[in-house]
Amino acid sequence: MALSPFSSRSPSMTVHSPNTAIRLRATAAQNAASGTAAVAASKPVPHGDRELTEQLNIDVRERYVKDKKVGEGTYAVVFVGHLRDNPSSLVAIKKIKVNAEYKDGLAMDAVREVKYLQELKHPNVIALHDVFSSKDQNLSLVLEFLPGGDLEMLIKDSDIQYGVADIKAWMGMLARGVWWCHENFVLHRDIKPNNLLIAADGEVKLADFGLARSFADPGFRMTSQVITRWYRPLELLYGAPHYSGAVDVWSMGMVFAELLIRVPFVAGNTDLDQVSKICEAFGTPTEDNWPGVSKLPHYIPTDKSQVVPLQGRDFFMRQFPTAGPVGADLLMAMCALDPRKRRTATQCLQHSWWTVDPRPTQNENLPRKSGGTKKMGDDLARRDLDEGLFKSAARQLDFGMK
Amino acid sequence: MIEDDIYRASSQYRLWSYTESSLQSLRATTNTVASERVRAALRRSREQQSATSSAAGTPQPGSDMDGKNKDEKEIECLTPEEELVLVRYYCEKTLELGETYRPPMPTMARATAIQYLRRFYITNSPMTYHPKSIMACALFVATKTENYYMSLRQFADGIPGETSPEDVIAPEFLLMQGLRFTFDIRHPFRGLEGGVMELQAIADGQGQPAPHLPHETAEDLQQGLLSIAPPPTPSKSMSDRIAVAHGKTRDLLKTAAQMTDAYFLYTPSQIWLSAFLVADRPLAEFLLDVKLGGPVTATIPTPETDENGLLNPLYEIRSKLHRVLTECSALLQSYTPLSSDPVQMKNLKRIAKKLYHCQNPEKVNLKRESAQAPVSQPDSGAVTSESESERLAKKRKLEQEQMARQGNDVFGPDLVQRTKP
Repeated sequence: MALSPFSSRSPSMTVHSPNTAIRLRATAAQNAASGTAAVAASKPVPHGDRELTEQLNIDVRERYVKDKKVGEGTYAVVFVGHLRDNPSSLVAIKKIKVNAEYKDGLAMDAVREVKYLQELKHPNVIALHDVFSSKDQNLSLVLEFLPGGDLEMLIKDSDIQYGVADIKAWMGMLARGVWWCHENFVLHRDIKPNNLLIAADGEVKLADFGLARSFADPGFRMTSQVITRWYRPLELLYGAPHYSGAVDVWSMGMVFAELLIRVPFVAGNTDLDQVSKICEAFGTPTEDNWPGVSKLPHYIPTDKSQVVPLQGRDFFMRQFPTAGPVGADLLMAMCALDPRKRRTATQCLQHSWWTVDPRPTQNENLPRKSGGTKKMGDDLARRDLDEGLFKSAARQLDFGMK
Repeated sequence: MIEDDIYRASSQYRLWSYTESSLQSLRATTNTVASERVRAALRRSREQQSATSSAAGTPQPGSDMDGKNKDEKEIECLTPEEELVLVRYYCEKTLELGETYRPPMPTMARATAIQYLRRFYITNSPMTYHPKSIMACALFVATKTENYYMSLRQFADGIPGETSPEDVIAPEFLLMQGLRFTFDIRHPFRGLEGGVMELQAIADGQGQPAPHLPHETAEDLQQGLLSIAPPPTPSKSMSDRIAVAHGKTRDLLKTAAQMTDAYFLYTPSQIWLSAFLVADRPLAEFLLDVKLGGPVTATIPTPETDENGLLNPLYEIRSKLHRVLTECSALLQSYTPLSSDPVQMKNLKRIAKKLYHCQNPEKVNLKRESAQAPVSQPDSGAVTSESESERLAKKRKLEQEQMARQGNDVFGPDLVQRTKP
């Protein structure tokens, strides 16, 4: 590190440590204070004809060794690797493919992922240790190694038994990760079980920031074409150009419901189908229960005879008995149709469910499953929204629309 | 968890914050390394040239002599100060380039591009990579990172002069590498908006006291605001005064804060408060009083005590902040645009001429695929000819008409509307 004027978050100092974030920040602060002076002192010796930044890049690259490929998608290849000087410190290396069709330089997904992961250091957000480029100008992200698979895998595996204490532990970690994003003015915009990866110690990590963006300034438009359909809130299905962290909270609510019943709660086949399924399940939005809803661009009026009244607490208790009355109350608060009435991530964390019995399961006692490394590889390499007919739309809409 | 902790976790703080001396020594190192490289590269290219011409066996009259003369003369490289002037000039150009698009690019995208340029040239020298080629790329990358996406083709077409999409994108990787793959820039603009909203609320009698000064009422605050010293230029009402100060501060943040080292040396909130002090000192000091209590006296704490007989508990912080803000204000005020200052422009032209002779010949062509493309002449002035700008105006007009026809086009003008909050 003496060579580099910039601090690196290489895992040598982060792996095996439960409160990495705090330590990282302490190291970083030291580096910010003293690191720069060190450069001037140890004048970088030019290696051949390399520029300083090239040399720094090579230093970073040479710190890691790729071991084997564990996943491949249209967008990226994922390898398991390790630190050259410490073979036991594993990392995931996500190499972003140069997209031949995309002539505009580094793809947006990669730009967004790198931009936000560089800023968000939190135990419940996947850690980005380093970024480097290879000779062929491919970008590689050195990510935290998460061999525990993802929540989707656990939900779907009927051999795995888990209870409400486990759900509370997982939801708590998810809520803290989302809270941290929002606290940093970042919207994730793609929360779903297979983006919630699990570390070796059982910690849940929010991953895949390919659709993330900062909160827009008031008045600036955002695309509503985000979040995988089953986890997408009604305001986005109605095409709202202005929205907030409430969209992620809805997704969290959907993950919560899915953890409880072990199937996606509202699984529409099309966007329209998704709208009607949400209305059937939670009630029909009206100007009374959601002022302004009829003004949204793609709002679909419901015939008076078809209006379903908003579901109350007893519905949630009936539908999700495992959650208990307090848990059902939190779920209901996350699933408010009107985003202004939905709880914020902070308010979710302040809910009494976390403190009533049962206590959340300790990480080491959480149910787990083998084969997670492969799943991690697939998850990190995948970009669902980019596939099929949605491909170019997601990119263009997001950035063309302000 | 306080806001300061969050800021300290940002890459802007971790990687891109310096003291004045560390920044200076970093730039000096970059300059030294680049100078050595340039000399070596120029030597190599001359050796190659003389080798080929002697191999051809038909020396042109006089060429031998010229070669010898140049060999003997040591190449004069740019100094770190000269490099900085050059970079500043291209930062100003970035602001202008953003203005040429229709609609003009948002301030945030332009400011981000300028900070990318400034960061890039901490570890790279203009002698190695000409700022002109990096500038357009920085602005394009900023459109991606600031959610103002446009296609590369559309972006390249908007640049006055002949710039192909390949020219724009060629240094992208190099630039990102120079940025250490950190794209997030924390700007002072949002903080300013918040401060202005708070002042407006106080003026309207809706003010909230700071947590440690709970005895203050909204009326006290309003009265306090109305009794501050008059503004630098007279205004009709308090709202008017706040609006004028807001505008002046924004202008400073768009210009002086971008063209100086402010982002490297100060935090976003320090920057906007300093600019606010420059715009309307009594108003800015009032805001600080509301937040931190007690005016700062120039000397040791006098019996400036509250009703419990205690000193303002935040006196130390306030004094420290006062020092920092004074420094930062001075930095912002030291800025005058190059283009409006004949003396600076003359200096710039001299530097551009000097750069022409010390540009690293091995780094001029940044395009990935075409290694043998003709070496482009570094252009000193970036002046666009009359006919050229006319041609572009026409081209843009045509494009706009076309866009208007395709009403629903995702890049159409109606989607970039901005409603003033």
